[in-house]
Amino acid sequence: MHRRQFLAAASLPLLLAALPARAASDLLRIRDLYNKDLSFSPYAKAHEGRTVAVRGYMAPPLKAQAKFFVLTSRPMAVCPFCESEAEWPDDILVVYTDDIIDVVPFNVPIEVEGGLELGTYTDTQIGFVSRVRITSGSFEKM
Amino acid sequence: MKLFIAALVAGATAASACAQAQDALPQAGSEWFKLGQDTLAANLAKKPNTRRARNIILFTADGQGVGTNYAVRLFSGQQKGLLGSEYVQPQEAFPHLALVKTYTTNGQTPDSAPTAGAMNTGVKQKNGMINIDPSVDHGDCAGVTGHELKTFAEIVSGEGRSVGVISTARLTHATPAGVYAKTANRNWEDDSKLPEGCTAQKDIAAQLFDQVKAGVIDIALGGGRRHFIPKDAKGEEGKSGKRTDGRNIIKEIQDLGGQYAWNEDTFKALDLDSDKPVIGLFEASHMKYETDRTGEPSLAEMTAAAIKKLSKNGNGFFLDIEAGRVDHANHDGNGYRMMTDGKAFADAIALADELTDDADTLIIVTADHEHSIAFNGYCGRGSPVNGLCYDVDGKGVKHAAEPLKGDDGKPYTVVGYLNGVGSVLKKQDDGTYSGSRPDVTEAQAEDKDYVQQALIPLSSETHSGEDVAIYAKGPWSQLFDGTVEQNYIFHVMNYAAHNGE
Repeated sequence: MHRRQFLAAASLPLLLAALPARAASDLLRIRDLYNKDLSFSPYAKAHEGRTVAVRGYMAPPLKAQAKFFVLTSRPMAVCPFCESEAEWPDDILVVYTDDIIDVVPFNVPIEVEGGLELGTYTDTQIGFVSRVRITSGSFEKM
Repeated sequence: MKLFIAALVAGATAASACAQAQDALPQAGSEWFKLGQDTLAANLAKKPNTRRARNIILFTADGQGVGTNYAVRLFSGQQKGLLGSEYVQPQEAFPHLALVKTYTTNGQTPDSAPTAGAMNTGVKQKNGMINIDPSVDHGDCAGVTGHELKTFAEIVSGEGRSVGVISTARLTHATPAGVYAKTANRNWEDDSKLPEGCTAQKDIAAQLFDQVKAGVIDIALGGGRRHFIPKDAKGEEGKSGKRTDGRNIIKEIQDLGGQYAWNEDTFKALDLDSDKPVIGLFEASHMKYETDRTGEPSLAEMTAAAIKKLSKNGNGFFLDIEAGRVDHANHDGNGYRMMTDGKAFADAIALADELTDDADTLIIVTADHEHSIAFNGYCGRGSPVNGLCYDVDGKGVKHAAEPLKGDDGKPYTVVGYLNGVGSVLKKQDDGTYSGSRPDVTEAQAEDKDYVQQALIPLSSETHSGEDVAIYAKGPWSQLFDGTVEQNYIFHVMNYAAHNGE
């Protein structure tokens, strides 16, 4: 089903005008950024620095008024920083936003759009280490 | 013995006579009729094995009750190009079967701790506790003294048998811990989790070390490295430990002469002919799901390695093998990973069966509990069990082209859950929960990250108290029959290990 039709059928009051004309199945999944050995995929390398759209779920944010969140492949009910790193799947994606995020429940699928950044980066404010990020991200419920 | 043979001949003759008398039936030429006759003949030919079991292998797929097992069967068959329902998993070809009541002394719905304890000690226990008699309160560290139960591993190792434990979950998780640990709280996986002042028992990882040192455990393979190393140390994969007592239990096992593996390469390099203990810790936490697995051995590979090592002992062995992540995938409401890990479990069973002799090895395949999984609709044959439910085709065998729809006009998947993260009720801004069922396409449903729709919103899908099955073969496997209590499994293992020719 075309994404516009899907949204219309679901009667969700979203910003349809801002949506890219793309079938839902064309959306990138987090796993598309990795090879099975967790090295970056050819797609990820080819799109480094470019704008990509990824589907996933917003993990519960660390704090209110945050300008970042963790995108997960499947719903994760726990806050990423409240548990050891070992509790977390390897295929998560940190999303940095320009504005304070509107929190979406952890089990509502979202589409994130932003710049793809690869390479290890330590967030100086929260100490979170990420291997891959979305910068200037925006997101919508699917 | 003569009497036994005479009885068999009489049985076979009766079956033959019955078959002849039924030849006139109009359905006698049907393949289904012939299959039924074949099954009858096979059952009439079953011979009870009353030899003493030299080896005992207990397989547990965590959370793979009768319903989950059904999903794995269809998935495995459909992966082979079959319609699915007709597929027979390796364990389903075993000759003896029972249903198991999994409740605990205080739980109508169990968790994996007391269920493991029941299988390993012969008595039911309290939820959240392992191998402590149920007079002790959950979490009462001081109360455990004098209430520790003796495990099957301790019994048979004391008689000269070897013991192994394998899990795709953390080795300190409930099911594998049931083989070697005694704890008032299943969450005390390392010393940092023990309550202050708790001296009556050690943490679970420390208990594994003690059991290795005592010669009870000869090989242990699984995940959970973080519980064996200090919090200020990092494991081979760069993840921190959890221990606050400074112990590096991996090094301590190596100091005993033991071998350690942490990835696929070091696993392959293990000397399985050595009589020194082996510990494999392939992840900081749980091992990977089968579909995501990279750089670490499969459950079947770990099973083969353990059998190879344990078989060196002429007195025999006890090997406990858990597919620990069938349960986790169900908790996540993710049918695909539940089914792929269930298939990996079946592959391990097939290999264990191949590597052992039915004459002297009792193999038991079971689960500790079921989940809130449920199955939708009057699906036609071949409806993808990880996809949508399609209508029955009245003119044929395989399902019709159109998916069945709910009264809301939307298709539904074959698998669903009664609760969990896939709930169609979503949290609203005002804190209330509401919503409607999302639409779903075949491609979306078959995606390996798809989360099946559920009803009650919960952060983790729950177990259920529904029965699970036992499939068994080998010495005294005929003792599994009817509907039994879970703790009965110990009694059959213990009887089979000590009785017979």
